[in-house]
Amino acid sequence: MLSGFLKTVRKVYFCHSFVLWMILVILPVGVSVFMLDMFSSQIVQHIPIGIVGQDHSRLADKLEMSLRSSPVLDLKMLCIDMNECEHAVIRGELQSFIVIPNDLERRSYRFETPVIPIYSSGQNYLTNMFATKEIRAVITDVGASMFTAQIQDPVRTEIHSVGNVNGNYQGFLALGLVAALFHLAAMLVGVFIGSFPLRDHCVREMLGYAKGSRVTLYLASAIPMDIILWLGSMACYAYCHRALTPMTLNEFVMVSAAQLFMIVACSGAGFTFVGVVGIMRIATGVAGVVGGPAFAFAGQTYPLMAMPFAVRCFAFLLPLTHALKIQSMMLLGDVGLEPSWEVLKLLIGMAIFWNIFGAFVMFMRWKQHVKLETNREQKRLAELAANADCLEGAK
Amino acid sequence: MKMPRLLKVAFTEWKLFYTDPAAVLLLVVAGLLYAFYYPTPYIYQTVSKVPVAVVDLDHSGMSRQLTQMAKAAQQIEVKAVYEDIIQAEEAMGREEIFGFMVVPENMEKDIRRQKQVTVNIFTHGAYVMLHGAIGTAFSTCAMTIGATNKVKQIALGKRVPSSQAMAMREPFPISIQTLFNNTGSYSNYVVPSVLILILQQSLIIGICILGGSRAHRRFRRKFRESPVENETLINRYFGRSLAYFVHYCTFILFYHCVIYNIFDFPRRGEFLPMAVFAVVFLAAVINFGMVISQVFLRRESSMQLFLYLSIPILFLANFSWPTYLMPDTMRALSYVLPSTFAVPAWISIEQMGADIYDVAPKLYTLAIQAVIYLVMGLWLTHIRDKCHFEAGDM
Repeated sequence: MLSGFLKTVRKVYFCHSFVLWMILVILPVGVSVFMLDMFSSQIVQHIPIGIVGQDHSRLADKLEMSLRSSPVLDLKMLCIDMNECEHAVIRGELQSFIVIPNDLERRSYRFETPVIPIYSSGQNYLTNMFATKEIRAVITDVGASMFTAQIQDPVRTEIHSVGNVNGNYQGFLALGLVAALFHLAAMLVGVFIGSFPLRDHCVREMLGYAKGSRVTLYLASAIPMDIILWLGSMACYAYCHRALTPMTLNEFVMVSAAQLFMIVACSGAGFTFVGVVGIMRIATGVAGVVGGPAFAFAGQTYPLMAMPFAVRCFAFLLPLTHALKIQSMMLLGDVGLEPSWEVLKLLIGMAIFWNIFGAFVMFMRWKQHVKLETNREQKRLAELAANADCLEGAK
Repeated sequence: MKMPRLLKVAFTEWKLFYTDPAAVLLLVVAGLLYAFYYPTPYIYQTVSKVPVAVVDLDHSGMSRQLTQMAKAAQQIEVKAVYEDIIQAEEAMGREEIFGFMVVPENMEKDIRRQKQVTVNIFTHGAYVMLHGAIGTAFSTCAMTIGATNKVKQIALGKRVPSSQAMAMREPFPISIQTLFNNTGSYSNYVVPSVLILILQQSLIIGICILGGSRAHRRFRRKFRESPVENETLINRYFGRSLAYFVHYCTFILFYHCVIYNIFDFPRRGEFLPMAVFAVVFLAAVINFGMVISQVFLRRESSMQLFLYLSIPILFLANFSWPTYLMPDTMRALSYVLPSTFAVPAWISIEQMGADIYDVAPKLYTLAIQAVIYLVMGLWLTHIRDKCHFEAGDM
């Protein structure tokens, strides 16, 4: 069985087209590294803002200087009127603008509490959140220093993001995106490896290498792919994690296990798609429909609890949801270890189910294709024999 | 180039969208299915009532007041009040809560003694949206307590009336107005960008699946030698492009009239900018697809490639992470893609009601892309028509 297994592995992985290695290694790892580098500046900075300066007092100048000195903001435009700034927001050149009202200083000193309006685009959720938060902090600081500089604020708040101390975007998003990419990769590669013997009409040949054993053929197709994808995903995870709190051994082991079972479950699902539809194009399309938007459903960007019930059910069926849950639990350190076991058991269950189901439908499909290939071969031989008879007759 | 022949090619290609199973999936089903599939998770639009906890180490009247205020906040729901931090950490580990606020020991006593206290707020590091919602809700509550006490301190210390003390604490209050997406809806932020990406990706993959403007396509066994397959390069190229163009114009119209209505997205787009956008965007994407399609030898290879690239392409379009924070090489790479300019242009037109002058620079860039890809597409198809290759089904 071992020699059959090794022969089949060689035939599937080393005697095939460049496309397989492209989708198995180059694209998932390359796209993951690309995504990580995209967030290399880690936190949102230099958000473009504008000012409509209706007041020309010292206080207005001080406000402008304070806004200029903030690293989060980039004062890009001093508009003549609101219309100019509003159109800059529409063009995407500004995220927010501040109107410094007429007589700001005079009215402030008279305790008339003039309101400073801040107009924010609202379209880009994250950038707007950071911009308005920073503008509020800057203006409040300037205001607090006017009359009550010597009186401290009685309450100060500090917001800590556990497991991601700096609020690093790579930690927030890229960790999840890497898992999502490998989730999709496992489905696509599962589809590719499952379907190319069908597409190239070489099921009989592949079974020959596997010494006629469909179990050997299935294992030789699935195992190397799962291992390669798993190693790739763990390398990308470790690369991404370097900007966060150092990983503990527990975290490493638990996340590795989660990634492995996610990949095994997804590759099993890929084989299932092929077994059910039987055509690479359609099966790839199905894998794309299921795996492509999986990240949107997995609850990391938009929480699961805010989704409709039916969507939550669908999300529950995605291995990615559970793998991300384990990843996020492990960011919290040892307190997340115990509950993550329960989630891991679920992932193991999924991996077993999809592989048994995938193997079953693939066995049926291979059986059908062996018959088809035999019939085709017999037909071809019959045609050849007929042609030979004709030729002899002609002679 | 004769019009009847061109239309015949276009019509033959359009029929293929509904008869070739792979094309149906990409050019018909994907555009319809994804338009409903993507917005569904965000149907409630905003996140509210995020489960959180309060760790009360003070047990004073003020700490109870703070807890009550947190319970009244819309964004969060206080699930428990714990006696120590470990209990809260364990609950967060089980994901029963996603954040907690620690009311420090002797908070009330320290505030009365005019000593500054620090209220720590802990959020789950993996969830960016929850981090914002929890942080804002808890800090608003704590700052309100702080503000009330500061006003008292000012009034007593400076011997001024409370109204003046309030003005001294905050001489110029701010008022934040949202110009667009007033409700802070997450779907308004995500879905419009994704819809444009769906159009681009499904169109490019669809063109590649059908072999672009190639002659004698091998997968069309019965019709490989038909006159339509054997048309002149110009007729083939523009005829097939016309089919894609008309087909995808209906998608844009469908999104504008149906999807935006069903999911209650703002529809501020005027006719002229939308029409110009549709023309230059589809021209850029179709020609880009025609170029890319000449690279593949197998029909499904484009699908395998572009499915991986959807997420980075979306992020390159200034969707969530600002483009100016990306490395220069990535920014340069993004100029190759129509979506880099199309996504911001569509958002400006449809979500913000931009006029033609506001979006002109982006539309010009799309038009330039369309021309460059048109020339490349014609040239590559010409080369491909001359080649004979054995591998694959294209």
